[in-house]
Amino acid sequence: MPTLTIDGREITVDPGTTVIQAAEELGIYIPRYCWHPGLKIAGNCRICQVEVVNPKLKFPCTIACNLMCGDGMVIETDSDEAKKARADVMEFLLINHPLDCPICDQAGECTLQEFSYEYGHDKSRFTEEKVHKSKRVQFSDQVSFDGERCILCTRCVRFCRDVVGNEELCLVERGDHEEIAVANGGGLTNPYSMNVIDLCPVGALTSSDFRFKSRVWFLEETPSACTSCARNCAVDIGTRWDKVMRLKPRENEHVNKWWMCDEGRLNYHYVNAADRLGYAYVQQGGKLVRTSVDDAVAMAHELIGKLPAEKLYGLISARLTNEEIFLAKRYLDQVAGAAGVGFLPRIGEGDDFLISADRNPNARGAGLIGVSAAKGLAADIKAGKVKGLVIFGDSFDHDEELMGALADLDFLVVMDYRLSETAKQADVILPGVTFAEKEGSITNIDGWVSKLNPALPPPAEARRNLDLLAGLLGRAGQDVPDTAEGVFRLLAETVSAFTDISYGEIFAASRQVATDAVVKAD
Amino acid sequence: MAYKLVERPDLTLAERLYLPAVMKGLSLTLKYFFKRKKFTREYPEEPTTVPEGYRGLPALVTDDEGRTKCVACSMCEWVCPPEAIRIIPGSLEEGNPVEKGPKEFTLDTLRCIFCGLCEEACPEEAIFLTDQYEFCGESREEMIFTMDKLLEIGGTRIKGVKKWKKESDAGFHNKGPIR
Repeated sequence: MPTLTIDGREITVDPGTTVIQAAEELGIYIPRYCWHPGLKIAGNCRICQVEVVNPKLKFPCTIACNLMCGDGMVIETDSDEAKKARADVMEFLLINHPLDCPICDQAGECTLQEFSYEYGHDKSRFTEEKVHKSKRVQFSDQVSFDGERCILCTRCVRFCRDVVGNEELCLVERGDHEEIAVANGGGLTNPYSMNVIDLCPVGALTSSDFRFKSRVWFLEETPSACTSCARNCAVDIGTRWDKVMRLKPRENEHVNKWWMCDEGRLNYHYVNAADRLGYAYVQQGGKLVRTSVDDAVAMAHELIGKLPAEKLYGLISARLTNEEIFLAKRYLDQVAGAAGVGFLPRIGEGDDFLISADRNPNARGAGLIGVSAAKGLAADIKAGKVKGLVIFGDSFDHDEELMGALADLDFLVVMDYRLSETAKQADVILPGVTFAEKEGSITNIDGWVSKLNPALPPPAEARRNLDLLAGLLGRAGQDVPDTAEGVFRLLAETVSAFTDISYGEIFAASRQVATDAVVKAD
Repeated sequence: MAYKLVERPDLTLAERLYLPAVMKGLSLTLKYFFKRKKFTREYPEEPTTVPEGYRGLPALVTDDEGRTKCVACSMCEWVCPPEAIRIIPGSLEEGNPVEKGPKEFTLDTLRCIFCGLCEEACPEEAIFLTDQYEFCGESREEMIFTMDKLLEIGGTRIKGVKKWKKESDAGFHNKGPIR
């Protein structure tokens, strides 16, 4: 166990730890381009220069990412020598780098900008013409490449090679004509390809989806979780002008490390879509008539109360949060006395990295709370066993069997974020919200509980799902908290799997539901 | 409380008579009445000029080939204290040396305080405060100036940054001390 001193502070680390990792543990940030905690060491950008204090050394500076910690080592990360070495490296990196920050999407979150400001020179001594390389190359529909901005750190190459496991990107040419290219004339097709955009420390690889949409410093970033599959990758929701502009993975060691899949990353456009439900509607003479949300809640409660309980079925979406599922189930069980509750299963194709075959983000949570996959619902409706259907937060526009069965129902109540084909058949429609507009927790396939945070206000008169559910319960005289935290506390009291989790803890990181091994969040 | 006693002045006979002072005042008035030297202008019939450096309406300019100089970097939008500028960036078609330009650029002249920070922040020398001080409208919408209107007001400026030129082109002079 080597013990070394970094900036006057001693630390003992495991053998094989590099200086940059040891510094990270001490909370000392060493600049880096090519080094990334999730990738193998390349050591080619040279910016992580630190001074090794040793009078025998003629040139005391070396790179911290490739330097193994040795016993008794003394490292200075912010000495004049180290800073000068970084300034010199910066000068080389900027020789051919174009000065097009005004039109570069990376500007504002570009480490080349940051370290140039911190360590670089304010002038360039380079008077020759810069080397010109390929620009505006589409590596795929989603990833655009600008060769001139590239500093050849090879993070993208190593990501494809080591993390995804296909060598889709490679280096071609040599010297100052070297650049990144798609190998064998193919495309960047892997389902995790857009991670190279986040990995790229400069603006060489940028997102085509986010291209020129907004400068990054205008974005408000809300930490949340992706709800496209049961993995629940931690994300930051970037919003501006009350619209979601992008999703970006956020580090979470338990769930997604640093990555997320392209499908999840791009699955936010429905939040900004035009078919969002802004108002409550009721069916009157074959037409949907707008009404106030409170009236709609009262009407829904009345409709549900009229039907004999054994004819009532509740579909509670596994896309809802733990809290919403809990309140929805409580309403259907205790107030309406529904004969059954269940969620619509969604199965897609999964892989062994992040994408889960279960496309419901909170199927595990629903299971723990006592809602299981609905079976034979269409047949039950056809057979007349189910006469009233309540759908909380779901639709089945493409399920012809279920859509066909809807005509046999006495009534249908839908709470959803959009006016789906399913919702258009409903007698009462309650306007709810999407993941970007609500607070709550979701449980992933491995039992890790993550928190969703509201990045946007609900559109028009739409309400948070929790408010709608609390309103329904309130009609029945049940007083429940209307905050996600309050409901979570109630849930933790009722469902044993959640007992050991406090709501405050999942704010910082995910927390695993478990009865045996409880992993402490950092 | 401390106080100071002010002596009343002893008035002369002429002063006490009051009329001489009235005559003196009236004569001054009459003198200016017939002298006819005007200090005011008959605006708007008689147009007025503004001094150089006057901060009037901000407007966008085009280069000598009629191209919009703005690259939609949003620096002015960011720096604008009353948030009068709103830019929706867009992609320029393939083949342009510049990739990005404004799809929409609106200036809410009702919000603009003519501080000139947009001109100062602009890295492309694409927005200038003109000597325009006459602009009015009948509705709020009319006072939100679109890109076309701003370009028309701004006109052409030949000097300055030439983003459409390449380093190898003749006349490329972007070799200042800071690059």
